[in-house]
Amino acid sequence: MKDELKKQLILDLQNKSVKISEVDFKKCGYNLEVSLTSQQVRDFVTTLYNKKFYLVFVTAVHVTPLIEVVYQFAYFEGSFRINIRVPVTLEGTIPTISDIFQGADWHERETRDFLGVVFSGHPNLKTLILAEEDVDLKPLLKNEKVLKASEKVFNRDQIKEEKKTGEKKAKADKVKAESVS
Amino acid sequence: MIQQDSTNRESFLLNMGPQHPSTHGVLRVILEMDGEYIVNLEPVLGYGHRMHEKMAESRAWQSFYANMPRMDYVGALPFNHGYVGLIERMTGIEVPKRAEYIRVITSELNRLSSHLLWVGAFLLDLGAFTPILYTFDDREHILDILEDITGSRLTYSYYRVGGVYRDVDYKFINKTRDFLIRLKERFKIYKDLVTDNIIFIKRLKGVGIISQDMARRYGVTGAVLRGSGIKYDIRKNEPYSVYPELDFEIPIGHSGDSFDRYIVKMQEMEQSIRIIDQALDRLPDGPFKGKVPKKISLPPGDYNFAVETARGELSYYMVGDGSEIPYRLKIRVPSYSNLSLLPELCQGMLLADMVATMGSLDLVIPEIDR
Repeated sequence: MKDELKKQLILDLQNKSVKISEVDFKKCGYNLEVSLTSQQVRDFVTTLYNKKFYLVFVTAVHVTPLIEVVYQFAYFEGSFRINIRVPVTLEGTIPTISDIFQGADWHERETRDFLGVVFSGHPNLKTLILAEEDVDLKPLLKNEKVLKASEKVFNRDQIKEEKKTGEKKAKADKVKAESVS
Repeated sequence: MIQQDSTNRESFLLNMGPQHPSTHGVLRVILEMDGEYIVNLEPVLGYGHRMHEKMAESRAWQSFYANMPRMDYVGALPFNHGYVGLIERMTGIEVPKRAEYIRVITSELNRLSSHLLWVGAFLLDLGAFTPILYTFDDREHILDILEDITGSRLTYSYYRVGGVYRDVDYKFINKTRDFLIRLKERFKIYKDLVTDNIIFIKRLKGVGIISQDMARRYGVTGAVLRGSGIKYDIRKNEPYSVYPELDFEIPIGHSGDSFDRYIVKMQEMEQSIRIIDQALDRLPDGPFKGKVPKKISLPPGDYNFAVETARGELSYYMVGDGSEIPYRLKIRVPSYSNLSLLPELCQGMLLADMVATMGSLDLVIPEIDR
């Protein structure tokens, strides 16, 4: 994929008053990292739909004290991968995107099975992979001990976002250097 | 069960599966039928669910090697490839050239065996019994070849971070070359027996047309997507391993119907043969395993690695937290998205056509359920 096209895409997306940062594909496996609030999700995803992206997956990660819903999109013509992270509280909801990308329907149902994230406006939010009676199981939620241990690593408060990215990078480099030596 | 809706139209529910010959695994489909036509359908998943993602989070990353082949047991090696690729990307471990070539050769052999199984099973769905005997004959050769070097016939976990589990020898190379010569001859039989068969063509032409927009909305990948005319293959678009050094084409279809998907898969097999031929010619000498530290911790951050399996795009998305145990591992499997369009695709279709369409999607159910 041509570099100009990539730059143009990034510029087009940046108009949307959201936090976008470019990352090294060779190191992370995706080109753009986007942080959104749950109100911005539908707008941004509609833009991606108009820009001819396709939905790779929807999932979520439990990082104290929030759940981060992760969307990944990629591009058929060339190589361009976007990772979107949206923090929601354990009791909060996030609007569905299954009317924009119909493929999100199953992914959202699965995310609700595994972590209990409620996607408001979803037409058929019942269990998909787990059995009906296991709806309260939420197997991928972390326990207190794990959350406490990972607190230092995932210091993902939205306000501290800026500071944290730098620290995370430095830490990653340090760990990498240690493990190789 | 007979139901009546507001327009006074009568419909009844038909249950297909979870044990049904044409669902190829434990998939259940609830069909709402109007006579022989499908009004609505709903796939029911989860019969083979094992929570692989939770298993990944509860043990050190090395323990997950054995889980890879249990997801897609038909084409297990690309699943291996994605996982070791991910760990190598996270930790920056270098892989020797010879190991990468061995990976490509064995992955493509596995792709051939997966496609051969699909052709046989697909034609079985359509009511033709003979082809599966031919394709299983060919597939058996691949299983023998891979068994010699990997130690297993189906659930391979052969790749290791930094290389492969053991080196290939001259016996492997010679057997593979012999097999490729044989398979090229067999394609002529398949062409006469299947591809040019008028009954076969009439069953598939114009059945289950997936438009490009629909493919995009559902995130369809693999041969199903390429059948609709979109040239998208992770091996070319996001090149990994030594695929950029090898010369091969990405076959595409035009109309997006079941017949095009069949043609794309058949042409893909020819391309796989091309790849293996070249890779065998260029197989370099040297170590088959790189220098790997004893203890590998997964660095904090989000990482992704995508590979092209026999069915489409496989993405591993891992969140590391600095320890040996993955904090979160999401496995995006191709069949999951490919199956999710079935309700929209099959509305108003004949039941027999739906079986043909579902067969053409090449589903592996344990991969969807994970």
